[in-house]
This record gives sequence, structure tokens and C-alpha cells, in this order.
Amino acid sequence: MRVVGTSVKRSDVIGKVTGSAQYAGDVRLAGMLHGRIKRSTIAHANIKRIDASRALALPGVKAVLTHQDVPRVLHYGAPHPRSVSVTRDQYILDRKVRYWGEGVAAVAATSEEIAEEALDLIEVEYEPLPAVFTVEAALAPDAPQIHDTAYSGNLVFKPVVITRGDVAKGFAEADLVIEGEYETGRPTPAYMEPNVCVCQWDNTGKLTVWVSTQAAFMVRGILAEVLGLPLTKVRVLVDHMGGGFGAKQDLFQHEFLCALLARETRHPVRMEYTRGETFVGGRSRHPCKIWLKQGFRKDGTIVARAARTVFNTGAYGSHGPGVTTVGTAALTSLYRCENVHLEGRCVYTNTPIAGAFRGYGVVQTYYALDIQLDEAAERLGIDPVELRLKNAVREGDIAPSGHPLVGHGLEDCLRRGAQEVGWAQLRRRARGDSGTLRRGWGVGCEMHGSSAYPGIKEQGNAIVKLNEDGTAVLLTGAAGLGTGAHTALAQIVAEELGLPFDDVSVVHGDTDVVPWDIGAFASHTTFMVGRAAQIAAGEVKKQLLERAGEQLEVAPEDLEIGDGTISVRGVPDRRITVRECMGPKLGLPAANILGKGTYTPTKSYSFAAHFVEVQVDTATGQIEVLQVVPVHEVGRVVHPVAAAGQIEGGIQQGIGHTLTEDYVVDLATGRSLNAGFVDYKMPLAMDMPPIRTILLETAPDPGGPYGAKGIGEDPIIAIGPAIANAVYDAIGVRFRHFPITPEQVLAALKEKSSGSA
Amino acid sequence: MRRFEYHDPASLAEACALLAHHGAEASVLAGGTDLLVEIKEHLRWPRHVIDVKRIPGLAALEYDDRAGLRFGALVTAREIETSPVVLEKYPGLAQAARELGSIQVRYRATVAGNICRASPSADTLPPLIADGAAVRIHGPAGGRTIALEEFFTGPGKTVLAPGELVTEVAVPPPAPGTGKHYIKHGRRKAMELATVGVAVALTVDGGTCRDIRIALGAVAPTPIRARAAEEALRGRPLAPAAIAAAARNAMGECRPISNVRGSAEYRREMVGVLVARAIERAREAVR
Amino acid sequence: MKRLVEVTINGERHALALEPYRSLLDVLRNEVGLTGTKKGCDVGDCGACTVLLDGKPVNSCLVLGVEVGGCEIVTIEGLQRAPDRLHPLQESFMQHGAAQCGFCTPGLIMMASALLAENPQPTEDEIRFGIAGNICRCTGYTKVVTAIQAAAKGMAEGGK
Repeated sequence: MRVVGTSVKRSDVIGKVTGSAQYAGDVRLAGMLHGRIKRSTIAHANIKRIDASRALALPGVKAVLTHQDVPRVLHYGAPHPRSVSVTRDQYILDRKVRYWGEGVAAVAATSEEIAEEALDLIEVEYEPLPAVFTVEAALAPDAPQIHDTAYSGNLVFKPVVITRGDVAKGFAEADLVIEGEYETGRPTPAYMEPNVCVCQWDNTGKLTVWVSTQAAFMVRGILAEVLGLPLTKVRVLVDHMGGGFGAKQDLFQHEFLCALLARETRHPVRMEYTRGETFVGGRSRHPCKIWLKQGFRKDGTIVARAARTVFNTGAYGSHGPGVTTVGTAALTSLYRCENVHLEGRCVYTNTPIAGAFRGYGVVQTYYALDIQLDEAAERLGIDPVELRLKNAVREGDIAPSGHPLVGHGLEDCLRRGAQEVGWAQLRRRARGDSGTLRRGWGVGCEMHGSSAYPGIKEQGNAIVKLNEDGTAVLLTGAAGLGTGAHTALAQIVAEELGLPFDDVSVVHGDTDVVPWDIGAFASHTTFMVGRAAQIAAGEVKKQLLERAGEQLEVAPEDLEIGDGTISVRGVPDRRITVRECMGPKLGLPAANILGKGTYTPTKSYSFAAHFVEVQVDTATGQIEVLQVVPVHEVGRVVHPVAAAGQIEGGIQQGIGHTLTEDYVVDLATGRSLNAGFVDYKMPLAMDMPPIRTILLETAPDPGGPYGAKGIGEDPIIAIGPAIANAVYDAIGVRFRHFPITPEQVLAALKEKSSGSA
Repeated sequence: MRRFEYHDPASLAEACALLAHHGAEASVLAGGTDLLVEIKEHLRWPRHVIDVKRIPGLAALEYDDRAGLRFGALVTAREIETSPVVLEKYPGLAQAARELGSIQVRYRATVAGNICRASPSADTLPPLIADGAAVRIHGPAGGRTIALEEFFTGPGKTVLAPGELVTEVAVPPPAPGTGKHYIKHGRRKAMELATVGVAVALTVDGGTCRDIRIALGAVAPTPIRARAAEEALRGRPLAPAAIAAAARNAMGECRPISNVRGSAEYRREMVGVLVARAIERAREAVR
Repeated sequence: MKRLVEVTINGERHALALEPYRSLLDVLRNEVGLTGTKKGCDVGDCGACTVLLDGKPVNSCLVLGVEVGGCEIVTIEGLQRAPDRLHPLQESFMQHGAAQCGFCTPGLIMMASALLAENPQPTEDEIRFGIAGNICRCTGYTKVVTAIQAAAKGMAEGGK
């Protein structure tokens, strides 16, 4: 490999370090107005009366929209319409509010200050309805029904049931049966760039949208559908965006409202979320409760697994069905088990909306699974790494997607990590039980698929064209969230075409120009779009070699390309450069070579094992992560630095999930209590431990470009259980939830020392 | 942001006159790191913002062994954090300043502003109280000085009357044999509001505690002196039992509330743990 | 009522008529057209809006435009040595993968430049302390620290 596998200089970064990179919020248009959303201060209510007249009278206010002024179209909110992952339960503005903070009106004004003042002048009279803030309350027989469109009561969709083998028989054979209840909290993506869009209509009735989104074609499609426009009349532009982590796949209320305000005022309108709105109007992770029961033989083999999961989706479904299905189905795997019975439910509550977020349900279910593995290891007297190796999924096992796995990735990660940290010696080390500060080591594992198959039949498309000077252009609809995806795609094209990396440029981000793409999520960009790019480049290469063959008078099969030069295999002197081959010659025009690639993937699975050391202050209950050794098997590393960057960033989010991040509401009123960075606590530079990333390429997937699989979501899944297991190693207290707060640590230590285990 | 009128008076007299004239509709702007946040979050809407940074004579930071430390109302947290004399003589205060917000905030935030905002969890208040600080106030009726521990009347509330401005903070020189320490307890290592703040100024004579002042933040409506805790140690040998007694007394003296940052019970427990730790560290820091 | 404010930004003099309630961040982005400085939270919690004000790193969201008369401001757009010569921090951020989505990057680089101006050879702990007020949600800070260390080393060896 000449280009793939090297950390080339990323093409998108120079704009970022110089400030010239344009994000949606940087767009400034003449006459641009500022839009803001008025939000409810009640969790569940009918809107009896809404009156914008005083707001409209404020000088500088150009338009106000309420539910009376916007199309009443039920839409998916999230992309992938008509896929099983998402829910069709949102109106742009409804006559009803279903959570504290839901948007009830939108204003466009000549300045942000005036728009904000106008919000207070909009009068809303609410007729309160009984509200439910927990899944228990929402599932109670007399619970108020939040959506008429629900499957039944407050169940978002028909519960998913997955059965393999005979679970009753499995439990009957077990020497050890372990059962537990696990609970996960509500972290949020907290991307640094608040949601923002700018909308402008031209006088042909065409709408242009600059927006921070992971799914430009979804934005185009849903806006066109809801506004009743053909796709040629909606153009979505995404240049740079400041993070999404899955949440920016959804369409948010403000994207519709921005387009409508722009149409109404005949001015461009910008709507930007405040930081508080990224919480209240954004998408969080689904809080989840998991009941998990497993049976083991005394040699450690898992013989049965039963689980019931309940995901709290908040006031609207968004990705609830997808998260529930993927998260629940993940429990068929990671550690092999022939007898499985799983049930997954998704429940509405009058709380902020949960949506797609890195890890997509698997963060929750594998937290439970991997902690219970540790519990079993202790009860069986088997080393935790050995127990995992014994049960690790392997080549040929059927993955949650229904496909057989390739290679022994999980085992490779476990072995390598155990060797790196000296696991065997760590387990044997002498323990000092005195002293306030206690240290412990733990391991957590995961596997995650790249692509959302089979929930969504995705498609990656790419076009590659060759310029007359031998340089190439890749046209891709893939979004650039900041992961370095476009660089990786360009590397793949360069590798396939035998060109230097710098000879490939990427055009992206304009739905009028680039081929359709489903959006950047599900860790599928490298795997899916990379493969499409490879296919497109392959087509170009074929045409190029045909042309070169004519010029060199040999058969194309006898030619090879490298470093921008085409030569006869075995006869290096007989060669021309790609530039010479492509260029115009006397009497002959320049070539026009174009390649097209489409890839509809199934799925590939990447693996990881994280080894973590923690320190617990037994006087204050504070947990500190001292070091992390993450081992990831990804098939083929395209850009080592970018791959490590994904892992380290995912670990920051995972440490936050496990120890300090929780977006909470008042359980009496549904009001948000910490919609801001003051009290939503993410790990910062002084809180992050050293991370020794190890990348393995031992189980490449032939479905991916050069065997590459995904990486984006894996790191956030393995780190959580690793921390929980390390805490157990340090203080002998088992936590089955996150976040684990210092108070809970102290309470648990007291309980332990007072005799009750 | 909300719309307001802006004034930048050139003298103390002018500033106090503007404050008195506009009363509840006016707010003082020094560093802006509290005021502008409160305006943006709709916690306050002053129609008149009085910028005091043009007033001369408020930016000095001086120390001498007789009068101690005196610094003006415009001295920033960053200046306090990096001042060699503060680091040497008032390490608890330097530590507290160092943990206030972020460096970017500290280059703007004034300690006087931290005092006047009177948040119960403000970082600089416990060490200043433990060090016996006083504030100099200027108003339409003239000037007065008040001990910092008497300055606060409730969360966000002070004894300042309309038209009055804090102009200077004065902290006595440390006695020989004094060690000081401040512990800020939070959920992470930076960018944090204290869930508990403990400041200790300890003067020893051999192994005996000659004097001790303990101030607690974030566990009562205002920062408080933990006098019963002090009594357990003042004039007594610094033995583990006495330190433990001081810690227990401090737990009894505080009145924490429960909120999203922590429960009252946890805060009370941390007062006990951290008072003991702060006393130990202050002892180690004795010079 | 608008005020006339004369201020130097990235070496250029500007005379701006400003509403007093506009933050320096909004003035830079909307009125001067320098959109490199980003708004991550608008209340001083994230550091994305960090600029140098008379050499000091501050959150521009918490400074009013009318407060900077007579001052010198440097934003990310003004950090480069010359049109074709990036600052060593900009080079090392690119080289070491310290920027992913890039939204925190301008503020982080400005803060790091102030840090290195004050402390040219910081330890890792000093670096982490120095950037503690800058939130990054993509990198986990590992490569940010590496990039700052590399820039410091390069600046010490190569001279400014």
C-alpha cells in the first residue's frame, strides 16, 4: 500500500487551523434575518390559545409562525423515511406539547436581541395534561397516552423479540445462573457546534439550505416532501460541520421553521441553537433499563441468555425503534450463545427527545453484558479475560445482522491488550487494602457493525473523474463531520488509481452536484462509501489502462500504475505518466474518463477490548481513570492518526457517560435541570488519562475497501464496562449503572463495610 | 443578549452617582464574566450597565509586612493567581483564584466581582475569610470598611447599599508559623463550581495550634466561618483526635442544600473529609 | 445608542459603530466578517471563542465590543506569520491530527499560543492546565497535547 495506511495530511484541516473553513453559521447573506424558537414551559399540554400579535408589533419582527401557520404534515423527523429505524410522529409545530422545552412558535427579526425579546411577547395558554417522566409511569395502565400514532399505549413500536435455540433448555443445563438489572443514564452528544441552518429562497421558488447536518440528502428529501417541492427545488449545502456524533442525522424543528420563515419574509433567515437548546431541542442518548440473565457451565461456556430491554425515547420516537432493535439484537453476539431470548421495548415519556448517538443502543446493552461477564468470571473462579476468550465470537458465527463474521477480531484484541498491560501479573498482584486511594484494572469489550443493515438498506455512491493533467476528482455525498472521512476516501481513490495522494481532490457537500448519499452515521463511511469510491476508481483505472494500452501498444492487462506512472509490467522503461496519457495531443482531444461506483453493503464488524486502570478515593468517592489501553481490530487502517483520533475521542465521551455526564430533568415538572456546560460535566483536558491506542488489522473484511471496516462508534462502547469492572477490582463494589457518582460510591462502600454485601 | 445602555464613568463619584440614580435598573460591569452570563441566561436584565474599568486607582496590587495585601477592585483573578507575593503569603487565595473558571475567564474576572456576586460557592471567598480579609466600600455617603465575613447576607446578597461600590480588598499579613490551604471539591478538575469549598489558615507553635480560621463555601446561604470547628483546635495540640473533632464540628455547622451538583448529605460528609485534609495540608505548608 | 470604537484587529485599524450590548464575538463574526472565531456556548464555558486581547487570551463572548476601544485583538485569522507561513501551532495541529471537526480548533490554538508565549517549554501537566478552559468533544485531547508539545519544541529549536 502506498497511500492507504499512511497518515497523510488531511485535506480539510488547513481551513480549520486558519479559521477559513466555513461552517453553516458562518454564512452571511444580505438582508439576513435571525430566527428564534419559543419553547414550552410545561411538559404535557394542549395549546388552548397562542397569540403572536404583540410580538408582531415589536419593531424589527418580520414574521411569527405558530401551529396555525405551518403545514400540518406528520413527518419522520429523522432521515431514512420508511425505514424501520425511525418514527413518523412529528409535526413541524403541533397543537400540543409533549415535553418541557418543545418549540411552539418561531420568530424572524432583524437582530437576535429583537427576536429574543419577541419570544416573551408571544402569549400561550396551555391546558395541562397529566405527564409521565419515567418508563414505569408511562407503562402504567392508567398512563396518559402521549401519541395517537403509538403502537399501543406509550410503546413506540411493536416490541422486538429475538429468539435462537432453546433458552429454557439452556438454563436447565447451566451450572451457574446469573441475573441482574442494569440501568444507563442520559448523556448527550454535546457537539461543539450548536445546530444551525440558513435558508434562502430564490425567485424561481428554489430553496437553498446551509445546514450543520450529517445527512444532507435526508434534509433535502424531507424538506421537499413536507414543503411539497420537487427535489430540483431544494439544494442543501454542507461544507464543514462541527461534530454530530449521530444526533445531527435528525431534522430538527428549526430546519423546517427556518425554511418557512425565509419563505414568509422573503429574506434569508438564520436559526442557530443556543447551547441550552442543543440540550432541550437536541437529541440525547436513550436511557435504558436492562434485565439480563445468563447461564454458564462451570467451564465458563455460556449456555443461555435472556434479556429484556426498555429504552426511554422521550417525547418523540426519532431513532427509538432503530436503537431498540440494534441494541437488543447486539445481545445475540459479542459472546457466543446458542440459546437466546431477547425482548426490546421503546417507550414514550414527556422528557427531552432521545435519538441517534454514537453506539446506538449497544452502549447500553453491552454495558450490562460486559459487567455481567465479569460477575460470572468471579463466581466461576475464571480469569475475566479467559472467560471472554472462551466465549468470544469468532469466524463464522452469525452476527446480529444475520451474517457470518469474518476472522477472530475480538480474540485478537483481548490477547494483545492482555499482553500489553501484563494482565496475568496484574491479576496476581498483592493488594493493599489499607489506604484511602485504591487502584484497580478492568477490561471491557465490544463489537459494532459498520452500516445500519439490515434496519436500513444503505447505499454509498461515488463518482470519480480524471482531469486532463492526470489528477482526479472524487465526488461524494458523504458528510464531513470532522472524522477525516473525505481524506480516507481520497486515500482509497489514490491507492486504487496508483496516484499520489495530493493528486486527488474531493468535491462534497452540494446535493445538486454530488451523488446521493444516505449520510454519515453507523460507522459506515469508510466501509460503504470507501468501497463505492474504490469501485468508481476501479472503473476509471480500467478506462485509463485501455487508453494507455493503445498509446503504448500493449494489452491493458500487462500494465500497472504507481505514483502517477503507467508502465508495462516487468518492463519499467516502457511507461508514460498518467498526465501524458490523459493530456490532449495534436489532433486528439483530452480524454473524458468518468467512473461510477455504487455499493449496497451488508455489514462488517469491528472489535475492541479496552483495558483500564482506575483509582478510587474512598473518602470522597471520586473515581479517576488513570490510563486506558484500547485495542481495536478494524480490518485495515486507512489513516492511522485519524483512526486513533476517533478512538481517543470516543473514550472521552465514554468516560463522561460512565462517570459524570447525565442530562437530567426535574421528575415533578419535566423541566431541564442542567441544559448547559456548567452542570453537564464532560471530561476536559485535565481529566483525560493517557491513552495507548493499539490498532490491529487481523480480520479484514473483503466487503470493505482493502479490507477496511468501521471505527467511529466502537470506542465509546468498550470503555464503560471496562471502567465499571476496574472499579470493582479496586474497591470490591459492583455498579450496574452509569453514571457512577461519588455519592453512590461512598454509599456502596458504607454498605459493604457494614456487612451487607 | 438583551438590550441595554452602557456608561463608562471616569471617576468613582460619577460611578456611584450613576448607580444611585438608576438603582435596581443598573449593574456594575468589571470583568463581565458573571454579569454578561446572567444577562444572556435571563437571570438579570439591567437597563443600564456601568463599566467601572475607566476609574483610576482601582488596579493596584500591593503588599507590605505591616499592612498586608491590598488590591483594587479591578485586579483580576489571573493577577492574583500569578502574583509572587500572593503565592508566597496567601497560597490558599492563589489556589482558589487558580481554580476559578478557566484562564480565559480569569484574565477578565475580578476578585471584587467574585465577592460582590456573592455566590455561596464562589472560590475566592473562603480563603479571603480564612485570611481575615476586609473590603473597602465607597458610596454617596462616603467610605466604609467591613470584614468580609460580615459582607454577605444571603445567596447573591451583600450589605452594599444602592450607589455603593467595592473599591479595595485588604488582607492582613500572615503571622509567622502560618500555613494556608484551600480545597475545592467538584466533579472534575477544572471549569467547575465548587460543591464544597474549604479554606484553612493555621498558625502553629511547635505542635500546638495557636490560631486557626476555617471558612466553608457552597454549604450555606453564604460562605461561613466554622467557629465550632476552630474551637476544637485553637490552643490545643494538633493531634488526630482534635483534627477529627474539628472536622465533625464543621459538619454540624454547615447548612448545605441538595441540587444537581450534589446532595446535602454528601456535601456535609465532604465537609468532614475536606476540613481534615485542609488542616493537614495547611500544617504541611507552615512557613 | 451606538458608540464609535477604534480597535486594531490582526494588525489592521478599524473604526466601528457598535451597539453596547453586542459581544466582541458577535462583532468579530457579524460586523468585521472574521468568522474564524466560533460560538460554542456564548457564556464562557467552552473557550471556542478565545481571542487575544492585548496579548491575553479571553472568551470574546464575555467581552463587549464597546469595551475594546484602543486595544489590540488577534484572532485565528491573524495568527499566521505570513500569507504562506503558518504559525508552528497551526502546522503541528495539522500534522498530529489535533483537529477533527475543527470547531474548537481556533479557540484552542489561540489559547495554546498564549500559553506558549508565557511558558515556552510547558510540561504536559502545564499544557493540560493551560487548555483546561477549552472543550473539545472529538479528540479526547491526546493529539492536542502532542501537537502543542511538538510546536513548543519546534519553536524552541527553530526560533520564533
